[in-house]
Amino acid sequence: MANGRVVIGMLGLDQHELGAIAVARILRDAGMEVVYAGRFNTPESIVQIALDEDADVIGISCHSWEYVEYMPELMKLVAEKDADVSVVLGGSVITPADASRMKERGVAAVFGPGAESADIVGTLTDLAGARQARVSMG
Amino acid sequence: MSGEADRFTRSGIPLKDFYGPDDVGQAAHQEVPGSFPFTRGRRAQAVSSGGWIQRGLSGEGDATRSNRQLRYLIGEGQSGVDLIGDSPTQAMMDPDHPLAASAIGTQGVSLCHKDDYIELFKDVPLDAITVSFSVPAMFAVAGLCLAARKYGFPVQKLRGSTILTPFYAEDVTYAIHMPFKARVRTSCDVIEYCAREMPRFHAFIEDTYFFSESGLDAVEEMALGFLEIRHLVREVLKRGVDIDAFAPRIAILVNCSMDFFEEIAKIRATRRLFARMMRDEFGARDPRSWSVVITSHTSGLTMTAQQLPNNIVRGATQTLALVLAGAHAIEISAFDEALRTPTEESHLVGLRTQQIIESETGVSKVVDPLGGSYYVEALTDEMERRIWAMVQELEARGEPGELEESGWFRAFFEEKMQRYQHRLETREQIVVGVNAHRLPAEQDKLLREISEAKIRPYRERIAEVKEFKANRDLARTKAALAKVSERAKEGQNLEPAVLEATEASATMGEIAGTIRLAYGFPYDPHGAMKPLI
Repeated sequence: MANGRVVIGMLGLDQHELGAIAVARILRDAGMEVVYAGRFNTPESIVQIALDEDADVIGISCHSWEYVEYMPELMKLVAEKDADVSVVLGGSVITPADASRMKERGVAAVFGPGAESADIVGTLTDLAGARQARVSMG
Repeated sequence: MSGEADRFTRSGIPLKDFYGPDDVGQAAHQEVPGSFPFTRGRRAQAVSSGGWIQRGLSGEGDATRSNRQLRYLIGEGQSGVDLIGDSPTQAMMDPDHPLAASAIGTQGVSLCHKDDYIELFKDVPLDAITVSFSVPAMFAVAGLCLAARKYGFPVQKLRGSTILTPFYAEDVTYAIHMPFKARVRTSCDVIEYCAREMPRFHAFIEDTYFFSESGLDAVEEMALGFLEIRHLVREVLKRGVDIDAFAPRIAILVNCSMDFFEEIAKIRATRRLFARMMRDEFGARDPRSWSVVITSHTSGLTMTAQQLPNNIVRGATQTLALVLAGAHAIEISAFDEALRTPTEESHLVGLRTQQIIESETGVSKVVDPLGGSYYVEALTDEMERRIWAMVQELEARGEPGELEESGWFRAFFEEKMQRYQHRLETREQIVVGVNAHRLPAEQDKLLREISEAKIRPYRERIAEVKEFKANRDLARTKAALAKVSERAKEGQNLEPAVLEATEASATMGEIAGTIRLAYGFPYDPHGAMKPLI
């Protein structure tokens, strides 16, 4: 497998998609496999895509506050389905207080405004590598 | 270096060390404000009060809450209100759609049926103020007319505006999932309807703001804007509407970024290009058709989440550029724009910024104070040349409908966003606080607490809308929707049928779905809602 497989998508009616597209390209350029789920996902649909695609990481891009409502639902679903997948969140609207609340909910990494490409790639590669190691050890 | 320019404007125009008489064309010597081609402004008279309309966006929660907000702003002396719909409204989706639940009323007002509009405009003097809508135009016009009728204001006298976004919204903002030709047709329907029924209403605001926020430069912004204006004008002319019956009511809502002189030149060049196009290409005879109103929203993209106070400085700088360029109305992106829908406090800072520039600086005591500046005139000529060259190039590329549906525009926007990010990362473009002069997070505290307050989704709306749907005369609603469907298939102007259906208690989501079906598209793009008829 490449440097990991990531599902990138947005939740609800959050429609400012350019950040998601930009991140998808950065990850592909870094040799990761990106399953681009685009706009209009629900927590259910994106978790299902991650399971179907055997993804290492779910990356949610946000440009509205809908994530505040949806992320706890998404994390709950991941736990319920016992899915071995890391969830990361990125977007310009995330404040420092939101970021710590999301991490308390089990989000593996949060990339707020001004996140560096290298940092995003590094973190996602590490998360994917850790999962692949778990999978290969059975 | 062999004498080549090493400095460029944001759009890539090479710059010299200084400019002189040899750099300006004939125009600089001949043009006068208030006369064709209106480069220097629509009017020749300076207005002592500054003369531009100052507003901020409003609309949050449901119609009742937004009504309070409107009456407060009008009470504070605002002569116009600018209403933005929440994301379900922009996407033509009712609040009871499952995908809408977390977005109701958080980024604007939730509007989906006639009672919303009636509640929204309760005790609002519709004969004395202008209402600018960032709400899907055919529904905004229907709702405004119904409220005016209800409160006894003559529809003929309504003033305000709607934004028409048939070309690019699908790719860069709220998708409505209608085919290109339906989007163009309904836009033309609104223009034609208002030209006849609401002659004082600006039915066609060309909004270059929202799509240029995906990293376009000033030349690209205006070229894409002109492409859309020209297409819609040609389509309306094909219907036999006289150019002078609607051209005076076209306005352009431009972005204003940080390249100070280029933004000024962009606006001056746009007025000149518009005047020439209207008179020489579309044969307009009324001078009001030649002199386009330019309004502006300052760039949200330039507003950073880092060091929030810096954004106040950015807003002031952009506003100064707009005033010097003769903008007709200005809205400042609030200093917390990068993080949230503006708070009341950040809103007020924007308003005060405008008032300081208006009342303390004296910059608006003279029309076009920069006219005759060698640099500004040379840059205006160059912007004019580049914008027009790009319009020609885009029109030669093919039918806009084909470009849109083949994904050409989408790829264009994606590429520009990449370019923008690349420029930040390589520091080709410096943004203070982002890629230069940074502060560690623990020191970046000023104004920070304001960004944490959030508006929760207005989920009570879901039950309210379900109740509205349950308590209407269903037979009447269905008959009105059947008429929308018929009209949509026949190709007649849809606006009267949309108005009638709204009056008959059909919701926005239902009417939009009916139009989609008439065009062979799914009723609900997400497959969650079922058609009523």
